[in-house]
Amino acid sequence: MQLMVEARNLRKTYKRPDGSSIEAVKGVDLEIRQGEIFSLLGPNGAGKTTTISMISGLVEPTEGDASIGGYSITKEPMAAKRLMGFVPQEIALYPELSARQNLAFFGRMYGLGGKELGRRVDELLEFVDLSDRQNDRIDTFSGGMKRRINLAAGLLNNPPLVYMDEPTVGIDPQNRRRVLDTVKLLRDEHNMTVLYTTHLMEEAQELSDRVGIIDHGEIIAMGTQDELVQQVGEEDRLEITIGAQEIAESHLERMQQETAGVTRILCNPPEQVSDDSSESMPAKLTVFAKRGRTALPQILQDLDSAGVEIQSVAVREPDLEAVFLALTGRALRD
Amino acid sequence: MRSILTIILNDLQIFFSQRGNLPGLLIIPVLLTLVIGWSLGQIGGGGPMRLRVDLIDLDQSGMSAKLIEDLRAANDAIVLCPLDNDAEDFCSLGEEPLQLERAIERARTGRASALIVIPAGYAAALEAFEIISVDYYSLSDPMQPGPVLQSLNAVLQRASTASMTTGVADALLTNLTAAFELPPLGAETRDGFLGALYLRSQEMLTEQPAPVRFQVADAESASEDGSMNGFNQSAPGMGTLYVMFTVLGGMAVLLRERSQWTLQRLMALPLSRAQILGAKIGVYFSLGMIQYFIVFAVGAALGMDFGSSPAAILAVMAAFVLCITALTFALAPWIKSEGQARGLVLLLSLSLAPLGGAWWPLEIVPEFMQTLGHLSPVAWAMDGFHDLIWYNGGFTDVLPEVGVLIAAAVVLFAIGIRRFKYE
Repeated sequence: MQLMVEARNLRKTYKRPDGSSIEAVKGVDLEIRQGEIFSLLGPNGAGKTTTISMISGLVEPTEGDASIGGYSITKEPMAAKRLMGFVPQEIALYPELSARQNLAFFGRMYGLGGKELGRRVDELLEFVDLSDRQNDRIDTFSGGMKRRINLAAGLLNNPPLVYMDEPTVGIDPQNRRRVLDTVKLLRDEHNMTVLYTTHLMEEAQELSDRVGIIDHGEIIAMGTQDELVQQVGEEDRLEITIGAQEIAESHLERMQQETAGVTRILCNPPEQVSDDSSESMPAKLTVFAKRGRTALPQILQDLDSAGVEIQSVAVREPDLEAVFLALTGRALRD
Repeated sequence: MRSILTIILNDLQIFFSQRGNLPGLLIIPVLLTLVIGWSLGQIGGGGPMRLRVDLIDLDQSGMSAKLIEDLRAANDAIVLCPLDNDAEDFCSLGEEPLQLERAIERARTGRASALIVIPAGYAAALEAFEIISVDYYSLSDPMQPGPVLQSLNAVLQRASTASMTTGVADALLTNLTAAFELPPLGAETRDGFLGALYLRSQEMLTEQPAPVRFQVADAESASEDGSMNGFNQSAPGMGTLYVMFTVLGGMAVLLRERSQWTLQRLMALPLSRAQILGAKIGVYFSLGMIQYFIVFAVGAALGMDFGSSPAAILAVMAAFVLCITALTFALAPWIKSEGQARGLVLLLSLSLAPLGGAWWPLEIVPEFMQTLGHLSPVAWAMDGFHDLIWYNGGFTDVLPEVGVLIAAAVVLFAIGIRRFKYE
């Protein structure tokens, strides 16, 4: 399949006010195929927005380059930008103007005019289901409605490639569902390629044909969801909350060796809520096992015999959260 | 170019859609222009603007009388003291006669705008085609001639040219008499002929203005009683002040454009950085010019003078707006919050405007303040407006002011464009 986006060794270093520097993106390589939804999944601060900003020409890479439809974003930015639509994380609209005025302005910037512009604006207002509010100022819209117009503004030029940077941040479940359905529609009915960034594993799982997992400015894994799960082994994950207790390292090692199917046990110790508080967050055990449900009784028995109070147990099928956890030792939401 | 115009029109639409911008653009500057114009007492038959000039005629000849007459004619605003003193003692002479020593002291302390001393032997020197000096005393900077010095220069130039013409005619007469072996003219006939020639030369030079012609206001623009219009100061002054408020306010808008990500969305469009920057510069330049047009339109409606070169007034406006736009872009990268931007706009506008003579003419402040005032771009703009509106100057008269403002704009743009934050 033809490549729509190809990024090679993208790096971005920022200077801090004290003169030191911080490398936000450390040599990212990406290939996104035409007609697929590619999600860049990672926690906040992982480098998703910086990466997408470099690929879309908003930020100049310190090193490396990206091409869109064969055009280099650093050397042929005009040609590259004509092929893309951009939906930023922020509501990048003029709050003083109406929805229609905003769309008409950005449409004119793509060279649309006259009846063609009017038709395209009408189509998009219809597409995001806001035709009835087209003449209202953006600052009178709810968060979800603003997000939908923000999305429409990124589609004015009917681009073969759309960047969406966390487009569901801060909106209610109903509007979120609308946005996710719209993204799938763009691929399925308009054959658009979508580069979608998110820190929500559920969104990446629902939408993506392929996923790149990014952490600390590096892509640590990339592939379809099945491929990623296979990379870390198709293991179930048992999440056991055990109250404000600590378990000896030796006990965990013995439990791992003696329980069939268990490959690894991670323990997050209890955490004090605040410095002047005696309350603690409960400790959590994460047990990786080939057949989680089979191993569970044995594990619970071991913990009980060690005098550990068990507060809750959950069995998770292999998913992207497990992949991230396996690769980084941290949960996505940490 | 189409993209740049689209962005400019869009930003102007946003600016005018915000009702909060209208008082600053329209209501307050218009009100202040009216109030200050009236307070200058120059509207509806206010007193004429007059310049007190002491004159001591040590020659007391016909030619010195002619010089005095020409000085009066050159500038209606000049009141020659004590010759033209009125019943209300405009000259502030009191009972004492005006002696040379007292007159010099009056010029030195600024109680008189200037002192002109016509030396004894003035007429004789002119008749003999010899060099003679007319002494001029004033606090004003000779490098930036004021109305009195310019009037004097114009009159003296006419007198010197007439004298020179007469001298040439005298030499020609002598040579012709000798060449054609004609009988010599009698002394009375010769003096009568040369005297008539001198007067005719003066008349012709008066009919055809001297190269440096100077008036406070021409006959068309001055009101019927020769008074100056108070809006000649208040409209350029308030226009200039509010151009600063409006254009420098762009610092906050540029910051907001980044924080609300509309600037970044523009960056993701197929536009070059130069197009985006050019459009943003165009927005604030347009707003500045609109601000000037509003205030000057009010001034025009109330009888403000525009001199003889509206194009030169436009050039001064454009140069000043460009300079303040450049200042906006030079400062914008250092601004961290909209509150900080608003504070800086107030600080700069309310310090540079009075310092540069937007509230009152710099001519009335001490010399060191006039020098200091020229650190403010406002002073250069006001100098330009005064040259054109008060003194009826032309395009070439304001080239230095326009040049300084454009040079400052180039330096400030170089800083601003280099530091402009797109990301």
